[in-house]
Parts: sequence; C-alpha cells; structure tokens
Amino acid sequence: MSDLLRRLGGVALLVVALALPLVLDDFWLQTGLFVMAAAIGAVGLTLLVGVAGQLSLGHAAFAAIGAYVYAWSTGETTTSVTGGGLPPVLGLALAALVAAGVGAAFSPVAGRLRGIYLGLATLGLVFVVRHLLLNLTDWTGGFTGRSVESFALGGFSFSNRDPDYLAVGGVEFEGLHRLWYLFLLLAVVACWLAGNLRASRTGRAWANVRDSETAAAAMGIGVARAKAAAFVVSSAYAGTAGAMLALAYGRVAPDVFSLTASVDFLVMIVLGGLGSVAGAVVGALFVTALPLVLAEYSSALPFLAAPGSGGLDPSTASRIVYGLAIIAVLVLLRGGLAGAGRRLRHRLGGGGPSGDAGTTDPDTPGPGPTGRTAPASGTTDPSTPDGSHPAAVTHPRSKETTR
Amino acid sequence: MAEPLLSVEHLDVSYDGAVQALRDVSLEVAAGSVVAVLGSNGAGKTSLLRAVSRALGSYGGAVTGGTIRYQGVDLAGLDTSTVVRRGLVQVPEGRRVFRDLTVEENLRAGGFTVRDAKARDEARDRVFDLFPVLAERRTQLGGLLSGGQQQMLAMGRALMTSPQLLLLDEPSLGLAPLLVDQIGEIVTTINAQGTAVLLIEQNAVMGLRVADRAYVLEVGHVTAAGSADELAASDDVRQRYLGAAAPERPAAVVVTEPGIPTAEAPKRLAVEGLTVRFGGIAALSEVSFAVEPGTVHALIGPNGAGKSTCINVLGGAYRATEGRVTYGEDELTALPSHRTAGLGVARTFQNISLALEDTVEDNLLVGRHRLMRSGVLASALRTPGARREERAHRSTVRDIADLLGLGPLLHVPVHSLSYGNRKRVEMGRALAARPSLLLLDEPVAGMTHGESQEMAETIRQVRRDLGLSVLLVEHDMPFVMGLAEQVTVLDFGKKIAEGTPAEVQRDPEVLRAYLGASAA
Amino acid sequence: MSYFLTQVLNGLSYGLVLSLIAAGFAIVFTSTGVLNFAHGSIVLLGAYLVAVLHPTIGFWPAMLVALFGAALVGVLINALLVRNLADPEPGAAAILMLGVDIVLLTELTRRIGNQVLPVGAPWGASVVRFGDIALPTGRVVAAGVTVVAFAALWYLFSRTDLGVGMRAAAADGPTASLMGIRLSRTAATGWALAGVLAAVAGVFLTSFPSPGVAPTIALSAFAAIPAWVLGGFDSVPGAVVGGLLIGLTSALVTGYEGDLEHVLGAGFGEVAPYVVMIVVLLVRPSGLMGSKEAVRV
Repeated sequence: MSDLLRRLGGVALLVVALALPLVLDDFWLQTGLFVMAAAIGAVGLTLLVGVAGQLSLGHAAFAAIGAYVYAWSTGETTTSVTGGGLPPVLGLALAALVAAGVGAAFSPVAGRLRGIYLGLATLGLVFVVRHLLLNLTDWTGGFTGRSVESFALGGFSFSNRDPDYLAVGGVEFEGLHRLWYLFLLLAVVACWLAGNLRASRTGRAWANVRDSETAAAAMGIGVARAKAAAFVVSSAYAGTAGAMLALAYGRVAPDVFSLTASVDFLVMIVLGGLGSVAGAVVGALFVTALPLVLAEYSSALPFLAAPGSGGLDPSTASRIVYGLAIIAVLVLLRGGLAGAGRRLRHRLGGGGPSGDAGTTDPDTPGPGPTGRTAPASGTTDPSTPDGSHPAAVTHPRSKETTR
Repeated sequence: MAEPLLSVEHLDVSYDGAVQALRDVSLEVAAGSVVAVLGSNGAGKTSLLRAVSRALGSYGGAVTGGTIRYQGVDLAGLDTSTVVRRGLVQVPEGRRVFRDLTVEENLRAGGFTVRDAKARDEARDRVFDLFPVLAERRTQLGGLLSGGQQQMLAMGRALMTSPQLLLLDEPSLGLAPLLVDQIGEIVTTINAQGTAVLLIEQNAVMGLRVADRAYVLEVGHVTAAGSADELAASDDVRQRYLGAAAPERPAAVVVTEPGIPTAEAPKRLAVEGLTVRFGGIAALSEVSFAVEPGTVHALIGPNGAGKSTCINVLGGAYRATEGRVTYGEDELTALPSHRTAGLGVARTFQNISLALEDTVEDNLLVGRHRLMRSGVLASALRTPGARREERAHRSTVRDIADLLGLGPLLHVPVHSLSYGNRKRVEMGRALAARPSLLLLDEPVAGMTHGESQEMAETIRQVRRDLGLSVLLVEHDMPFVMGLAEQVTVLDFGKKIAEGTPAEVQRDPEVLRAYLGASAA
Repeated sequence: MSYFLTQVLNGLSYGLVLSLIAAGFAIVFTSTGVLNFAHGSIVLLGAYLVAVLHPTIGFWPAMLVALFGAALVGVLINALLVRNLADPEPGAAAILMLGVDIVLLTELTRRIGNQVLPVGAPWGASVVRFGDIALPTGRVVAAGVTVVAFAALWYLFSRTDLGVGMRAAAADGPTASLMGIRLSRTAATGWALAGVLAAVAGVFLTSFPSPGVAPTIALSAFAAIPAWVLGGFDSVPGAVVGGLLIGLTSALVTGYEGDLEHVLGAGFGEVAPYVVMIVVLLVRPSGLMGSKEAVRV
C-alpha cells in the first residue's frame, strides 16, 4: 500500500519536473540546475555517511576533481591553460571515473579509519586539493579558475546554440532548458542506482560495517574493502556532481569547492535524514535554493538591507537562516526530514508489521557497537521497513562488540 | 510496625511512552534487610532499579504511575544525585568500572558526593578492609582488573558514600560459580554492617541464599513474593529458576527436510600452542585442543580464563601472538578475519550484534553474504543475475527462519523482538552462512533456566539436521554438561583439564578452580 | 642559524597557542562526545569581545569579560542545543556545531565588517631579544600563560574531585551519574573550560605580529584540529604535543617557503598541518597519545 503510494508520488514528481522548464524563468532554471547537481553529490554522500557510517568532510574535494577533470578534458588549449579537447560525454564519464580513482587512491586511509576519524582525515583532503588547484595553474587556471565548455551530444549542444532555435509548446528551449533535462536524467539515474545499492548485498554489507566491524568481518565481509568501496562510490557521485556544477556555472574556480561546500553536502544529508536517498534530494533542494532565493527576492523582503549598507544583507541573512535551520532540524526532528515524513506517513497510513511486542524488552542492553543505550533497542519505532538509520556515525570511543 | 526504608507502590514504568516495562509493581525493603528480585531477562528488573535510583530518564523511560518512597519521602521529582546524597546508591549491571581510571580514582569518583574528607577516608578504609585486593591494586587501571575484581570495585565504589540502601543489579552475571559464592558472602557482610540491600538476580540460587525476602518479577509484574525460604520451597520457582526438575527432553521436534543446502562436511579444528597477549598481559598461554568433526565441544572456565579471547581468535576478531589454529588444511591464524567465514566458520556474539532497525529477514541475509556474488556494479544496476540471486537467497533464508521457529517474525524489525528471539536470529544469521563449524559465544547468557533449555534443544537440532561441529563458550554448567561431548577447561589463560563432561566434573583441579568448594 | 632558531621559537610559541585551542577540542570531546566545529567561532568571539571592550574598560577587565563570555556561550550551546538533540549521537552533534558555527561566524563577521580591530594588548608590538634572536613579547607571554594553564589543567584532572568526576563522566556517563555526579555540571564545566582556553588563545592569535581581530581568525583556529587529532582526540597532554608539532611544522615550512616553493607550491605552510595529520592518522589511527583501551577479556 505505502509502496504503491511512494511509487505514484515518485511518478507525479517526475512529471512535474519534466514540465517545469515550460513555466520557469531563467533564475529558477539556474537554481534547479544547482539543486540537481547538489542532489547527486548529496545522494553519494548519504551512501557513505548514512549507510556505511563513515563521516566525510572531503566531499567538496572530489566534486572539485570532477569539475576540473571535466573542464580540462573537454577544454581547448589556450595561452593560459591546457586542455584535452575530448567530447563532453567522455569528459563527464572521466569526471566520475577520475574522482572514483582518487577515492580509491585514498582507500588505504578510508579503509583503516572510521567514523569521525575518517571525517577529520578527509578534512585534510579539502585543503590539499585546494592547494593543488591553486598551484597547478597550467591545468586549473589557478585562483581565477578556467571556463568550461558546454555539454554536447552528437551535434546537439546544451547551450544557446546548435540548434540556435528550439521550442517546445511555444517556449524557447535555450541552454538552461536543455541542461535541465540532462541533469534530470542524471539525477534520476543516480537516485535509482543508490536505491538499488542500499537494498542489495552491497548495501547490507555497508550497513553491517557501520553497525559493527567485528560482526561484519565474522560474516565474511571484508571491512576495509567495504569501506573503501563506499568511499569510491561516493567519490564517483561527487565527481559527477562537480562536473554538473561546472556546467551549471560555466566556469570553475577553487572557491566553489571550499570546506564550506563539504559542510553544505553534509548538512543536506543530515537535514534530509541520514541514509535516505529522498531525504538527500530534499536536503539539497533546501540548502542550495535558500540563499539563491533570498538573494533574488531580497528587495521584496522588508527586513533585508541592500548589500554593503551595513544592515542585514541577503547573503548574511541566508547564512543565518541556514545555520538556524540546521540547528532547528537537529533539535526538533528525529531522523531529519525523511524521519519526520515516515512518521507522518505511518500516522496517516496505519501500522506497519508489529513484533512480539508483548515481550518487548527494554532491559536488554543494546548491541553496543554504536554506543547506543538500551532504550534504542526497546523503542517501538513504527517506521522501520524502509528505515534509515539514525545512529550512523560511530562514536570513536565506543567499544567493539567482542569482549 | 516501623515504616520500611523503601516502599514501592503500584509502580508503572514505560519507555518512550510506548513500551510498558513495569505494571503495578509493589515491594518493600525493611531497614537492614536483604531483598532479592528474581526474574528472567526482560522481566523489568533493571527498570525497577532505575526507577528507584532515578536514572530512568537518561534511558528514555518514565514512571507513569504509582509512588516510590524512601525514608518516608516520595522520590518523585528528585534526581539521582539527590538520592545518592541521601544514602541510596545503585551498582549498575555489568560492573561498568571506569576502565581508564585507577582503582583509587574509581573510588574517588564513587565518593563524589561526600564532601567531608574524614568521612571519605574512613569509607575508603572500610572498602579496602572489605576488599583487600583492591588495596593491593589501588594504582592500577580499572580496566586491567579481572571480572570478579571489577565487581568488587563496582561495589566498593558504591560503598564510598556509606549508603543505607544499596541497589545491586545482577552482581553475579558472567562470573564463575566460585566468584558468585564470594560475591554472595560479601553481600551478607555488607548487610551485617547495617546496609540494606535490594538485589536483582537472575541466578536464583544466589539470590535466595543471601536474601531475607524475595519477589519474582515476570513480564513487568510481580508474580510471587515471600520470604526467601518460602520461595525456595515453591515448586514453581524451583522449576523455573532453580532448574531443580530433571531436565526433561522435550519431545523431538519433527522437522520437515529444510531447504537449506547442507554444508560441506565439517573438518577437524586444531588449536596448537595458542598464546595471546594484550599489552604484556597474557590472556591465553600455550593452549592446545581439538574439535573433532561433527561434535559439540565446550570451552569453560572462570571469568577471565581466556575463553572469549580464544573464541575471538578462532573467529578472526583477535590476532594470535603465538601458535596456530588450523581448520582442516587451512590455517585460520594466517588469514585476515573476513576470510574465516569463507572456510565455513560462523559465529555468534556474546552481546547480540544485529541491525536493530532491519527486519529478521534482512539480518539473516547478511549471513548469506559470503555465498552471494553480486558486486557493487551488479547491485547498483539490479542486473537480472543479481535479482535472481537475491530471490534465491531470500527463499533459503526463509527456510532457515522456519527451522529456528522464526518464520512468522520474518518481516518484523529486530528491535521489537524478545531477547530470546534475538539470540535465535543471531544464530540464524550464523547458520545462513552455511557453516560447517559454528562458534557460539555464551549462547544462553542472560537466559532463564527454561529459555536455556530451549536453546540447548535448538542447538542439538541444528547439529543433527545440518551435521556441523559446534564450539561453545558458556558459564551455565548444567547447560554445558547436558549438551557437550567434549569439554576443555581454561583457568588463567591455561588449559587445566579436558575430557567428557563426566570426567571434567570429577577432575579435582577443575573443582578447585571453577566450581568452588560448595560443589566439591 | 639564528634565522632557523627564530623560526623554531616562533613555531613553538605559536604551537603553544594552538595547543590551547586543541585542548579545548579535546575537553569538549571527552566531556560530551561532541566534535566542536564552533570552537573557531568561540576563539573569534573571545578576541572580538576584548577588541570591542578594551577602549572603554581597559585591556584586563575586557579580558575577564571575554573569558566569562566565551565560557558562557559554550555552556549555553551545550545546555540549550547539544543536550536537546533529537538524535543524540556524535555525528548529529558535530553537524549541529557546524550550524552553530555558521550562525556565530556570520554574525561576528557582519559586526566586524571589513575592519581589523586591535585587541590593545599591553605588550603591544614590543619585541624580546635573546642574543640575535628576536621574539614578539606577545608570543613570550603566550608561552608563559599556556604553560601555567596546562599546569592548572593537570592539577584539576588528577588532583581534584571535580576533575576526577569529569573524567569518570567522560568515560561512562550513565554510571557516573549513579555515583551522584551530575552530568549536566561536568559537561558545563568542560564547555566553560574550553571557552576560557579559546578566549585566551583568541587574544594571543590576534595580538602582534597579527594585525588584529578579523573573521579569518576563526579559520586559523581550524589549524588546531590537526593538532588535536595528532595528539589523539581525548588527551590534553596530546594536545600540547600536537600543537607544538603543528606550530613547528607551519613555522618552518613558511619560514623556508622560498626554498620549498618550486617543489611544494606556494602557500604550502597552510596545508602542511593537514598533510602531517593524514600521514599520522595512517600510521597511528588513534593519534600519538590517544588512549588505547585497556584490554582485558
């Protein structure tokens, strides 16, 4: 029942997304492109953080790699920068592959560390990649960055040219419209793949690693390999997202991929609810669109001052709203937006399967590995069949299961 | 009649507003007496203690009805710190000493609420008198003490406040019989010095021996109460908790041929000269034994003897410092831990390690991991091959669930299962890996006599139906003696005896080290 | 040679300031399990308070207010937000602190604007000379204050009831509370301590040779994260060692940048701490002095 509802909901959303370019203006189209690019990055990160339980603060570094690989491989050599001159499709694939490759190269670290420890190691990655972007000027253009070739497939360009005029239902389809459909396709495929992964042998292995590395190894799961695989997959997602961001901006520069961008990705998945693919998409929508929308409509909002006037300017306001939103969701909503949504669905749609609740046992100690205390095991959380896991990042001090 | 020190009336407790742990529980503790509360896991015993010590809140629980009065004062609205200052202290289950603090610092933390330096010094001297071994090891880290010593430290820590009422949560849990006797004597001594004790016990023998009065708690309410002697004489209590009735074999369960592909034939497991050291301390030294194909072999010994270390080496979780373990032709000690499963060795854990939010079916499927092939790409793309594989393994897992009586619970999330069923799911997950050798780490820890008999029957049944070898570590002697064909006894990391249950039970060395004087 | 020595001494004194910040990370982490990403903003807050208040009430009173203010903000963050988390687990807490950091940092940045506010330290831009080595007086004072601060911390944690209680609470909160230790108080103490250390560090980070208080200070406080990680998450002595190592590394890399630039690229001094951190984590995942749990089966 609820499964059918979900599917119908998904189809309805897709229809709306397909129709939107017919009515949106350029600002909203551009915003939509950023949202879809961010959503792909967020979905990749939720696989790593939410499902496999490994914190990463380095997602922006992999996005940067994807963006620059795309820019370099599809770009032409000029007086200031070199370029590969490859077809854009190949560039996009390369962006994902190279990011995944760098993720694999980092796997000795990713496989050995876990939870917050890995998060801090990846923090270093952001700074290292930024340093490289600033110094390898022949490839990256240094501080000012380099421009990005538009995407094209066969003779069809996803820009305002080739064909110069294209209209659907009386609406002229320019570069932004065309990119919208490309991004939508990529986003849908990315979500589909991630959903499959979560429910598969691989996803179960990752979740098991998150819950207890010892138990996972005892089931024959290679822990270091599973963690490295999750890291590689999430890097590939980040690389794709980076290339999409490069396309949406038309330019790449190191400042786009700062630590703040890593934090933004994390915030998206936490707002959405760790481990939830749909949650990651909603989180991406909120985090990406909020500052853009506030800036665009600042003149209509009486409490906002013009930039530079010393009052509350739009970018400051959006940062503060953004920070407060993070705080509010974490304090008020268990399991993020996805958790709240599930509880709501449950309330509307009647009960899920119930256990032998008569003997439900609040005294039983929890399984230990995540450091959760006993009540977690006694809680009858109604929301489990498609449950995402609230306790995703292991406390480094928590003891392993074996004693 | 004087007012009791503690009186609990019509107490209701629930967690997260949903799960009711206690219903209408009433009990009294008279000043200077020892009261035991008996009951199986999940009966609500710990919830009762937490309600009295005001610690429920931090576990998401709340008192939803009834009153608790201590020294005539209603405790509603008071916090733990306040009741500790009034002389009511709880020793938590599982000892929970501060591992990174020295013995002295542990005691200092215990006396945190005592502001008077002289009173504190006196209390510490009394603790050291009571537990001389703690005085000897006062500068050592709590984490390096043995299980029994940790229990002593946990009790000593609570005594630092010179309490009037001491709440003890399962002080005998996980301790060998000899130590259980010792703890029992200590409780009596503490009581003789004027402290009333409310004791939660699963070990009814121990509980009834030291208590004046006892209550039996089942599924959240009191089902029997009376003097300890009355209860010890009651047939019902004898049968359920003391294991007095002859262990009747339940009628053989008729099993239709399960659709579980049988494992490869079990091989011989040989442990040779196994030594494991942690930071200079030898947990195991030069231990050798063998598990013959198709037998049930038990590893027993007092707490801290190295049993768990041993099973953790066999399962690949710990590395051996010296020595080797072979299974058939393969050397387990030379393989990374996740390769052990590939040889047909599967295990369960002492503290259940399941994904609580996932269904029974998904938890069991994790066991199939090593038998499945779909990689990241095939999984992500849901290739026809991957889907076929998933379907086939789901159907196998259903058969395993049926074999263990978990069939109806297949789509239920594990967190809503009872303790006994969770243990069963864990065993199911191990069986799903199609093992030829099953390692069970304390399969009946925390179970009542009745539950552990059921578990014994389950183990016999899977051994018979699937033809595998079983190596188990356990404290519960009747359980081990009724089930194992061969027994290896460890003490202080060394093997001290080996043989059939009957031989081992007669061995003077074993009696001395393990069973204690009372059993000799 | 004296250039080298100057770099070393500069690095060590800077490292000591970093270790104050790193110790703040470690204390908050052990007492509440929170990875405090807002710590940099609290460092900035401390410096900002001194910079704003010293013209009217004088440097030392302003310093007192800053210590108190930073401690109070820490205590309030913990009491109002961390303790009320819907999913009280470390990952959520870390991200909550990112949210707090964004709010604090944005507001402080707005107030500071494009100015660089002097903190008005009494030692000003004076320099202490040892032979031909010259060190800013502020750095020498910082070193002295830091040593005193760490001696006080050691005394607190090993010799006082409060300190032992805090360690007990850090090791096992529920059990410590059964001993009558109020976790809300040990946690508040931890946050207050970290706040005080942050404010002290903030003043030293912004006095000469630094031009004054600017929002970028919050980011340079980030460099204390590698120091904390190197020391090993839960160890205050580790924070000192980590701080010294990172201070030394950045001072030397920056000091010899001219020689290193063609190999490592410009501005490697900023990256060096993170590279060191990744390498150390690879070799010793629990840091240089992190506790390896006492193992006993």
